[in-house]
Amino acid sequence: MTVQPATATPPPLVRLEGIGKSFGPVHANRDITLDIHAGRVLALLGENGAGKSTLMSMLSGVFPPDSGTILLDGAPVRFQSPREAIDAGIGMVYQHFMLVGRMTVAQNVLLGQDRGLFVRPRDMERRVGELAGRYGLDIDPAAPVAGLSMGERQRVEILKLLYRDSRVLIFDEPTAVLTPTEAGQLFAALRRMTGLGKAIVFISHKLEEVLDVADTVAILRQGRIVDTVARQAVTSRHELARRMVGREVLLEIERAEAPLGGAVLELEGLSGHGLDGLDLTLRRGEIVAVVGVAGNGQKALVDVVTGLAAPAGGEVRLQGKPWAEFFRDPPWNGAVAHIPEDRLGVGTCPELDLVDNVLLTTRKGFAPGLFLDKKSALGATRAIIRRFHVAAHGPEVRARQLSGGNLQKLVLGREFFRKPRLIVAEQPSQGLDVAATEEVWHRLLNARMQAGVLLVTGDLNEALQLADRVAVMFRGRFMAVLDAAQARDLEKIGLLMAGVDAGAPRA
Amino acid sequence: MEAALIVPLLAAAVQSGTPILFATLGEMFTERAGVLNLGVEGMMVVGALAAFLTAQATGSPWLGLLAAGCAAALVGGLHGVVCLHFLGNQTVSGLALTIFGVGLANYLGTPFIGQRAPGFEPFDVPVLSAIPLLGDILFRHDALVYLSFLLPPLFWLFWHRTRPGLALTAAGEYPRAASAAGLNPVALRWAGILAGGFLVGLGGAYLSLAYTHLWTNGMTAGRGWIAVALVIFAFWRPGRAMFGAYLFGGVMAFQLRLQASGTDVPSSFLLMLPYALTVLALVLSALRGRGASSSAAPAALGVNIEPEG
Repeated sequence: MTVQPATATPPPLVRLEGIGKSFGPVHANRDITLDIHAGRVLALLGENGAGKSTLMSMLSGVFPPDSGTILLDGAPVRFQSPREAIDAGIGMVYQHFMLVGRMTVAQNVLLGQDRGLFVRPRDMERRVGELAGRYGLDIDPAAPVAGLSMGERQRVEILKLLYRDSRVLIFDEPTAVLTPTEAGQLFAALRRMTGLGKAIVFISHKLEEVLDVADTVAILRQGRIVDTVARQAVTSRHELARRMVGREVLLEIERAEAPLGGAVLELEGLSGHGLDGLDLTLRRGEIVAVVGVAGNGQKALVDVVTGLAAPAGGEVRLQGKPWAEFFRDPPWNGAVAHIPEDRLGVGTCPELDLVDNVLLTTRKGFAPGLFLDKKSALGATRAIIRRFHVAAHGPEVRARQLSGGNLQKLVLGREFFRKPRLIVAEQPSQGLDVAATEEVWHRLLNARMQAGVLLVTGDLNEALQLADRVAVMFRGRFMAVLDAAQARDLEKIGLLMAGVDAGAPRA
Repeated sequence: MEAALIVPLLAAAVQSGTPILFATLGEMFTERAGVLNLGVEGMMVVGALAAFLTAQATGSPWLGLLAAGCAAALVGGLHGVVCLHFLGNQTVSGLALTIFGVGLANYLGTPFIGQRAPGFEPFDVPVLSAIPLLGDILFRHDALVYLSFLLPPLFWLFWHRTRPGLALTAAGEYPRAASAAGLNPVALRWAGILAGGFLVGLGGAYLSLAYTHLWTNGMTAGRGWIAVALVIFAFWRPGRAMFGAYLFGGVMAFQLRLQASGTDVPSSFLLMLPYALTVLALVLSALRGRGASSSAAPAALGVNIEPEG
């Protein structure tokens, strides 16, 4: 399976030779050797914690390797800072966007660029607009970044690299925040970049997209490269997954039927906050997925259902009670559980330990009097860690020390602790590796036994795997609510997501 | 008839608002780079003393002005060392700086109490001072007042139209973004502390070289604190800072006139007025703004830059 050096392969643009890096006792990378070629997409495939991001952080100058050499155009380089890497033509699109919300798109792109004292906004916006147009990245250069969707912010990050004439562009889990449409646009942009001779490194744990874009796939496991495979040599995704995790994983999930119970959420003509007459009944025992391009009202819907925003028009009933009455005194047990998209910012407090994070939404159950019963909270946290397979050193570590997958499992464990009747899950597997995704999916499926699940996701595959019904959202409306079987018609869903009702005559 | 009363009052408002304007803009500059420095009062009084001593020794108020800026920037540099290199708590460090500065100025300044130094004298700006009303209010002051008129538009220009201004904004909003863009946020914050400190020092110099020409201990009298408050009141915008500084200056001038007129109102009450009214204006503005002030604050204000990795 290892790539045979082709007879006419040009020398690599970048060669990593024997790279090693340790953080304390943890070997993040061991003896990694890897070639990065111009005009090619190299995918780094591996589970969370396999060492992908560490490796690329060294290439992009965030920190130097402990051992080994980075060769650029055959000459050894040693970057002391991201700036040095940038100057050498190596740039990275970070998973957490490095953008200043108060500044415009153009200002963010040009931050730290060019010389001279004065800047001319018009001129900046024109140049950034032209650059975006060339790569088919749809963005308003004059818009403040604070008002942009995640997909748009990513385009700003890409523009930053393109503006710097980077020769090697590193993408760290770039599709984690994208809708399928946006991901498609990204892939098109990647192809334009390789067409212009850029080298792309694509860090991912999503097999499908790796097979979509990569020319070469390097598989990392536990800090080592276990295999490097040419795209053409890959015959099945199962095989790739097996190499990645070292064991068989189920990518198609088995779902048992769950008996339908009473309605836990009823929407009748819900309007306001950009929503436009939503009707939906969600019963215990089913999962309804809300899919659509981000920014079409999903956030407003979640805010209303979880009690963060009052419905402006129409009726909302939770477990039979009107919205206002329900949220005036929401039940601690059997209430609404919210699994937010931003698990580190909204879902948890990064600087608190796991016990306190569990207490964030469950403290009512651990406060017999004036004081919190930390002892039983500790016990409950231990139980959650055990039952939900959270890989943590213990309940006393801070939330930010957990990887994305383990943090999500902790959030799930915490939210399920109260035995919710209604679960609102936003992008629950975003950024998770195969094993963690599988586990999260199982948990959500099992949760149907006691609850109704509203699954808001941009991952169509996730929706199809889990949902009993799929609601397609466009500009604050449900274009259609489809049965799972109907929803398998991807063409139709795509049209609905774009606002085209396939049943109606096309304009 | 009314103008004869109001024009001198407004002119006095501009004059007594000027030291506060310098200090407010200085603190604003530092805060826009993400550093909260509560040491303004201490830096200002050190600046006032440095200005006085230098002007007295050299005979040049301009050298005094320079010395004031440098001395205040130097004191501010302590804040930089504590917060940028040892990642100390910015609030605590700033408070300590004020206590230190006031104590230092009292200690070094006591022998000079009541002595005089050459300072800045008012002069009329040609042409402009001939404008009816406005000319009398704005253009019959000393050089430092005219300098302070230039600062708010320059600030706006700096933050919105220059590369260093954008870089400084990034350091105050999201230092890691600045770092990812290849900038050095710690160096940018240093620039924010030192340049801001320099301006605070000019505010102090105004007190000892223009507002009065002599030294008394404690001559800042809480103006540094007013400046810290005004930065918030002004939503970190230089234009609003100007308004706030002149409002404080106006009430200050008004109560001095009231005292001079021999009113029955106790002088302690009158002395309190400018501070109380400024606080009131702050509260009202915050109520009207409803959260505007929190969203106007630099996102990373008061948050130290932890080493990455």
